[in-house]
Amino acid sequence: MSVKTKSRERKEVFTTNSGIPVKSIYTPTDTANLDYERDLGYPGEKPYVRGIYPTMYRGKLWTIRQFSGLDTPEETNQRFRFEYENGSTGLALAIDNLGLTGFDPDHPLAEYELGIGGVSVSTLQDMETIFEGLPIEKLGVAVIQGITTACSHTALYFALAEKRGIKLSEVDGTTEGDPVSYGGCGPLPHTFPPRHLLRLGVDLVEWCAQNTPRWHPVSYTSYNYRETGVSAYQEIAGLFAAAIDYIDEELKRNRLTADDFASKFTFHLSAHNDFFEEIAKYRAARRMWYKIMTGRYKATDPRALTLRFHVQTAGSTHTYQQPLNNIVRIAYQVLAAALGGAQSIHANSYDEAICNPTEKSVLMSIRTQQIAQLETNIANVIDPLGGSYYIEWLTNEIEEKAWDYLKKIEEQGGWFGAIESGWLYKERIDTQREHARKLANGELTVVGVNCFKMDEEPHQVEVFRPNPKAYEIQRAKFEKLKKERDNIRVQRALDQLARVSEGKENVMPEVMEAVRAYAGIGEISNVWRNVFGVDNPTWL
Amino acid sequence: MSEKSGPIKVLMAKPGLDFHTWGVTIVSLALRDAGMEVIYIGPQDPEQIVQTAIQEDVDVVGLSLLSSTHMRLIPKITELLRARGADDMLVVLGGVFPPEDIPLLKEAGVDEVFLPGSELDNIANYIKGNARRKKAAV
Repeated sequence: MSVKTKSRERKEVFTTNSGIPVKSIYTPTDTANLDYERDLGYPGEKPYVRGIYPTMYRGKLWTIRQFSGLDTPEETNQRFRFEYENGSTGLALAIDNLGLTGFDPDHPLAEYELGIGGVSVSTLQDMETIFEGLPIEKLGVAVIQGITTACSHTALYFALAEKRGIKLSEVDGTTEGDPVSYGGCGPLPHTFPPRHLLRLGVDLVEWCAQNTPRWHPVSYTSYNYRETGVSAYQEIAGLFAAAIDYIDEELKRNRLTADDFASKFTFHLSAHNDFFEEIAKYRAARRMWYKIMTGRYKATDPRALTLRFHVQTAGSTHTYQQPLNNIVRIAYQVLAAALGGAQSIHANSYDEAICNPTEKSVLMSIRTQQIAQLETNIANVIDPLGGSYYIEWLTNEIEEKAWDYLKKIEEQGGWFGAIESGWLYKERIDTQREHARKLANGELTVVGVNCFKMDEEPHQVEVFRPNPKAYEIQRAKFEKLKKERDNIRVQRALDQLARVSEGKENVMPEVMEAVRAYAGIGEISNVWRNVFGVDNPTWL
Repeated sequence: MSEKSGPIKVLMAKPGLDFHTWGVTIVSLALRDAGMEVIYIGPQDPEQIVQTAIQEDVDVVGLSLLSSTHMRLIPKITELLRARGADDMLVVLGGVFPPEDIPLLKEAGVDEVFLPGSELDNIANYIKGNARRKKAAV
């Protein structure tokens, strides 16, 4: 059976954002091969397409977790309090470019980069200030950093928890520090070569599985990879390719089973503009993860089989022009994430194509989520689009394309192999050129950018300005700390870390000792720069 | 007045630690497609950028920033270029800047600023039209 459309259509071919051609209508023929029990099942049951928990949002609404961090720890503490008081139910710590790169406030680039893109976090002292007065035992905290400082920034948070009297066995939250962003967006400056980053990331996963059972030691983040312009199916293929490399690396060590540590993984996906495609992507991703964990790794722990994920609305879809239009884009993307069954959501702010968000724009992001949760009734019914001919067909289509792309990555030696060979980078550049071509010829329409342009902006947004004093303040604090701390203990810890890093033991006990002694993130990273060397990537 | 021949030589860089590289990559490729010789060195500190520009004797310094550090880093680079007698190089900046900062950036020595949504052809044409003119005028 086919439905013929006689009248002329607006375009020759209609496609999704990822370039998948779509028909005018979908019918039972398109889902004829679907076996309900085998391919969809019920929420909280295999293959988890319809959701990972039996009650989903009827049991607990998704967590409103805004990614925040700015200037000094004091200012970030104020921002976190503001978000908490206005109904945020989780926190995500954004660390500045200086910290992410593994530098302390006394580095020559600190003058420019300290407090930019996040808060300055160098030592335990900074962590103490950021979370002062906030009930971190009740709020799941995500510590967001790059793979370079995954171990050290997480250790800082653990050391803070210990000081607050929270046992390591009880500490709850998430490390992002992930390989998808690194490979998907890299190369990165001033970091260690890929294989050493893999070792450090897996050391953290292993140590957390043994010591902090409630902590998620990695959040595989295809969000950043997607932000480079790749498609929905490339996004989830990259997500799983990176997770597979971590699992294989840990299994090679013969210390833990896949159930022991993969049950701690979390994921962080994007919500892009193609509404139905994004919903299909989340559903396809849950089914793929279930198949990977049962098929390849014979995992049985439901927590190792279920894809727990955070969603961030796609910053790359925001426009500099007519910035209030971004509020609408963000709201649609939140809706897609919720209909796709996300566990937590970050709604971007409308001013982020111009500057870091202001308090006012962050409040709008929180309210956007609350309106979706409390006024639209979308949280009443689980996977409400399940069974739609189009959604089910598209879920299958995305899954199939993602498997194909995953195979291509694996032919390059997996995610890290594809980074090292440069293949991943070349693939990304091809996609970006294609995007530029479509934007130039109008195949891709962006309101306010290549259509409906205005000579004069209809709205001016208030611009966030980084605190010009942040560098001086943080540098002075760091210099003072270096005078007051037990420097013999710091040096001993750093020497021990160097020794362990040269071998095959897990680095985390030594990283913990170093941060407890108030060593800086830069001091720890410098140990690794000495032991592992610094990657010298090709930029184009 | 020194007339250079051959393709226009462009150094592309991201000052500091800004990791947003989509824009700079696409612009680098577009300039290369437009017949220019492009050297892209990724995120680098101001000193490194200026040293490379002088060492490579480029006509154009293309800078990209999306991290709110422009008022700290860009004047530092133009100042270093001036101090080394390399202010005949055309300085072109792309990225995300609040509208009110653009006159300040130009005052600091940036020749042109391209905002999000700029067409690649326009960027290439601007550079073609101005790279050698600036060198000739100095």
